[in-house]
Parts: sequence; C-alpha cells; structure tokens
Amino acid sequence: MKATFPHLLHLDIALGVLYPALGVEIITPPPITQKTIEIGVKLAPQNACFPLKVTLANFIEGIELGADTIFMAGGVGPCRFGYYGQIQRIILEDLGYNVNFVLLDHPRYGIRPFIRALQAMAGGRVLSSRVIKVASLAWKILRFSEELETERRALRAQVKNRQQLDEIVEGALEQLRQVNNGESLQAIQEATRKKLNSLERKEIEDLIKVGIVGEIYIAQETKINFNVEKILGDLGAYVHNSVSTVEYVLHTLPFTHSQEKLEAWKLAKPYLKRFVGGEGIDTVGSTIRYAQQGFDGVIHLYPFTCMPEVVAKSILTTVSKDYDLPILHLAIDEHSGEAGLVTRVEAFVDVLERRKKLNKRKLEVS
Amino acid sequence: MKVGIPRGLLFYRFYALWKTFLEELGAEVVTSPPTNKNIIQQGLTYAVEEICFPAKVFLGHALYLKDRVDLLFIPRVVSFHRKEYNCPKILALPDLARNLFSIPGERIIDDEINMREEGMRGWQKGFLNIGKHFTTKESKIMKALQLAEKAYKEYQTNLKQGILPEDLIDHKNPLPLRERKIVLLGHTYLLSDSYINMNIAKKVNDLNYSVITPDMVEEEKKRYYLSTIPKPSFWTISNEIIGSALYHLKERKAEVRGFIHLVSFECGPDSLVGELIERLLKREKESLPYLRLEIDEHTGEAGLVTRLEAFVDMMEWRYKNIESHVSSFASS
Ligand code: SF4
Repeated sequence: MKATFPHLLHLDIALGVLYPALGVEIITPPPITQKTIEIGVKLAPQNACFPLKVTLANFIEGIELGADTIFMAGGVGPCRFGYYGQIQRIILEDLGYNVNFVLLDHPRYGIRPFIRALQAMAGGRVLSSRVIKVASLAWKILRFSEELETERRALRAQVKNRQQLDEIVEGALEQLRQVNNGESLQAIQEATRKKLNSLERKEIEDLIKVGIVGEIYIAQETKINFNVEKILGDLGAYVHNSVSTVEYVLHTLPFTHSQEKLEAWKLAKPYLKRFVGGEGIDTVGSTIRYAQQGFDGVIHLYPFTCMPEVVAKSILTTVSKDYDLPILHLAIDEHSGEAGLVTRVEAFVDVLERRKKLNKRKLEVS
Repeated sequence: MKVGIPRGLLFYRFYALWKTFLEELGAEVVTSPPTNKNIIQQGLTYAVEEICFPAKVFLGHALYLKDRVDLLFIPRVVSFHRKEYNCPKILALPDLARNLFSIPGERIIDDEINMREEGMRGWQKGFLNIGKHFTTKESKIMKALQLAEKAYKEYQTNLKQGILPEDLIDHKNPLPLRERKIVLLGHTYLLSDSYINMNIAKKVNDLNYSVITPDMVEEEKKRYYLSTIPKPSFWTISNEIIGSALYHLKERKAEVRGFIHLVSFECGPDSLVGELIERLLKREKESLPYLRLEIDEHTGEAGLVTRLEAFVDMMEWRYKNIESHVSSFASS
C-alpha cells in the first residue's frame, strides 16, 4: 500500500512523521502549484467549492507518483466538506483510476466503519502503546508547525530583517520532517524560539492589528489564498489567524474539545444562534473576539459560495456595524486574481491606518 | 395575532401543516403573494450577493411581510429526517432575517425543529415551543399539531397525484396531462415557484410532456433507491432527489423519456448532488438523457426555452433510434 492524502498547510509534515513510523508507505502529493489548480478545475464539478477541487488534484498528482490508496476525512454535514470524499471517489472511478479510497468518516456514521478506516490508516494496527506514542509525537509536530506560523504572522511587521524571519521558520519546518522522537523535537523548538527572540525589532508606534477568520482550508492554505498574511505583514500589519487545524481536530474528536472554539461560539450567539456547519459560527465569534481585543480590522477568507461562510458574511454585516470594525471579505476560487486581491488588501490596510490616526487624534483632543 | 409565513424555501413543503397549526392556535395567518419582480428586487438589495437565489427570494418575501404582521414565522428547520440535515442557509434562516433587516428577535418565531437526533420527539418538541407563543396549554398545542399533520398528509397525497404545490396552494387549474413524461428533479422550492423557474412545468407541458417531480414519488421508493448508493448525502431534500432519480432509472416506465435537473447556481448541495446524479445516470447501460439547468437571478427566459427545445429534440431522436433498434431486433 502506498497512500496519498490532501495537503493542508503543513499537515504533510506531521503525517510524514506519523505514517512511516507506523510502517505505512506514503506518497506526499507534490506542493500545490498552478498546475494542481488546473487539474482540479478541469475534473471537479464546476460549482463545487474550491477546496474539493484542489484536494482532488492532490490525489491525482499523488496517484501519478505511484499512490494506490487515498486517505481522506469525511463528515456528517451540513457543509459540503462531509461529501467531498464520496464525490471524489466517483470521479476517480470514472476516470479509470483503480485506487483504494479510505474515507475516515465521523463515528456517527457507524463505529465499525470508523474503526476499520482508522485501522486501515494505521497500517492495520489496532491502538497499541506504540501507535499512541507515534500519534502524540505527530500531534506535537502539527502543533509546533502552527506555532511557527503564528510567530511569523506576529513578527513579520516588527522585525528589521524579514528574510531572516522566513529563513528561521522555513528552516525549522524542514527540520521537523526529520524528527523521530520527543527529544529531537524539543531541541528544534528551543533553538528556533531562541533564534526568533534574538531577531532585531523595529520601533513601531501604532502597529495595525489584523485578525483572520474564515473557512479552515482557505484561511490557512497560503498556497491558495495568495499568502494574504504575508501581504499584510509586508504592509506593516501584525497578523493573527483564528483558524487552526489543531483546534479543529480537538473539537472533532469525541473526547476532547477546543476551548477557543467554545468561547467563539458563545460570543457568536447573539447574532447566530447555532452551529451551521463548517466554521460559520467560528467566523462570527472570532470576529467579535478580535473586536473586543482591540484589533483594527478583520479579513474574512473563504471559498467562493461556501455555505457556512456566506451565512457568516451576511451576519458579519451587523457585527461590523455594532462593533465599528472594518471587515474585508475575500472569496477565493480559481478565478481569483493576485493583482486584484493585493490591491484590495492594500486599500484595506490604508483605511485601517487612517482610522487609527484619526482615533488617536480624537483621544488626544478629548 | 397576525402571523406571516414568507412564501419561499420550505414553505412549499410545509405550508398546509404550518397554516393549520397556527390557525388552530388562534393566529391569523398571512402569506406573502406569489413571487414577483418587486419581491425579488427587495431580496437582492438586502441579501449578500453570493447567497443562493432561493434564499434571496425567501428574504424578499420576509421583508414584504415584516411590517404587515405581528410575528414572522421562520422556524429553524434544522432537520426533518433522522440523521440528516438541511443546508446551512436553512439552518441560519431566522438569523439571516434578523440581522439583515434589524428585526428584534422577539418578532420572529424561530424555534428549532430538529429530528436529526431525536426523530419524532425533536419534531414535537419544536412545535410545542412554537405553540407556546400562543398558549400555555400543551394539550391544545398537541391537538393543533395532530390536525396540522393530517392536513400535511392530505397535501402530500395530493402532490403524489401529480398536482403541483402552487396549484394546490393557490387553487389554480392543473396543467393538462400529457402522455409522455419528463422527470423534473430539484428542490421543491425551485420547482414550485413558477416565477423564479420561469414556469418550467408549463413550458415542458407546451412541448407535450408532463413533469414528474420528487414530490410525486413514494417516500419508500425514494429511500430504498437512496440506500443502494455507497454513501448518501446528509441533506434530506438532496437525498430525495437522488432517490427519485434512481427510482425512475431502475423502474423505468415507457412514458418517461428523460431527466431535467433544475439547480441554483450558488447552491452547495446541488453542486455536488447534480454531479453525482449525472454520473450515476451515465454509468447505466441504456440510460436516459439528462439536462442540468442552472437558475439564478440573471437567467434569461429565451435561453432557457432554447435549451429546453433542443433537449426535447435530442430526447425524441434518442428515443426513436433506440425504439427502432429494439423493434427491428424483435422482428428479426
Ligand atoms: S439547499 Fe441550495 S438552494 Fe436550498 S437554501 Fe441551501 S444552498 Fe440555497
């Protein structure tokens, strides 16, 4: 068995440590490029949401490199994500690919198929102490890869040498691929934190703060969202991203939950009373949290026509008014152009800067 | 007390039930008029651009009623089938109306009807909560629900006979029956609102076909055929559409000549389920022609007619060719 899987930011690093340790041979799909997008657009249903198209193309590029098995997660709705696997499987079948599609569905669809899929994904092993040990190492790696990006977003506008920042983060990410035990991970963590702390900073008086909210794939996958967070950082904004795979997993597993998400859901309640699939309610709640924390603006990133996010967008109109918080909505799909996006982000940062100065003057006068 | 039911989305499914229930509890029920240009315009003004056309139309209706009634009836119908959901927009419907039109929460009946986990208990709980807006007597509410369910059954029976929801609701004369049939797939609210679907049933009828919609297929049949695919979707209405398509495919009647699937451009479930159905149909050896028609506020009537006519020509041609093949085979 040679298994491939979809990309999602640095997920491949954690999986790249997990699977070989379990004895499962994997083929990491090539990094997402324009060609990947073209494959997805050509083969997926025209009006499907963008992540379905890109992940389908990941599978195809993985198969072309020799994969014969696909690992994919499923869901129970109500957002389309839960049905991706089914549609992708049929498309691959119709294309004549003879692959084994392992769909890890929510245990709600039946505990037995869940365990069967889990077993298949763990190379036939049942939960042993070894599997747990490896899984927990992979989990820590995923966490740290997210932490690295959190640091990069926060620091980009503040450090004197951005290239150095990128080198430290990219270097650490590369090193993570070689990790095989807790000690080597810890060594990388400590060394990286030290390097980041020693980066020279600029003196900035009024740092603009921008929060990112939105759908789990588009809001995180910098190869698809034109790396909006980098654009923002280069324009001098401190960036925080509320979307995280770690929190998503915590919230989806049966016995854990994400404190952050629970908090966001509570904040959203006055506007959106319940979960509506995907990250719809998180988007609303996280925006409110950013407003309360004094962020200057929020960027909402989502796949064009994404149902939960379109709901969130409708509701954010009110949130934006109530909290006097500028929000820029960026719907991403294969038709999005980089130039247009950059212009919009620049104009947005401009507005935030002017507002900040104006508010400051008002405070000084009063 | 005047209670307004916007004429959109699940209205076409539950109208008889909702109306009876509310009236039994002493409410005066007002519905918005059939969709017109003005209502659509209102919906377009307030709704975000990317939301699906049926949701925009619904919001237009809600806005029409907003200042004409005491209470807007927009229950949150999370699910009306075990283990399944409605689409996120339907889940959020009362919140959308509340936020977009700045309506105070207490002016909307937004209680949740959710059969996903609890089945009939979730259903009853929902109506009990709705009923409490009108009376404290639970027995009165349950009585009203019983009568409402009876009205709903009757409504469904009428639909099974082949009457379209609009004709039932507005007491219009049904279209003349044609011998040949086209299976018309799609969400009831798209198939039933003749203004937004540009009167497709009539247009098909003028071309000498009657339509068969998912409403006209027995529930058990739909569910049986749905269960024959590896993983059904989790959207109830989409599942009924899949089930109906497979039913007509597998239990083919001679008078059925093809499939037309009416979808909304920005509809999430349609974007996947349309693809699924098309592929399932194509896999069948001697399948029937399939046409997917996308509708939104920009769809032009002329284009629709052209596509319909071309499709019917193709369908006839295919039918004749297969027919002659079959008969010559039989005589040889
Ligand atoms: S199912 Fe489709 S058409 Fe219906 S409300 Fe949802 S997105 Fe809109």
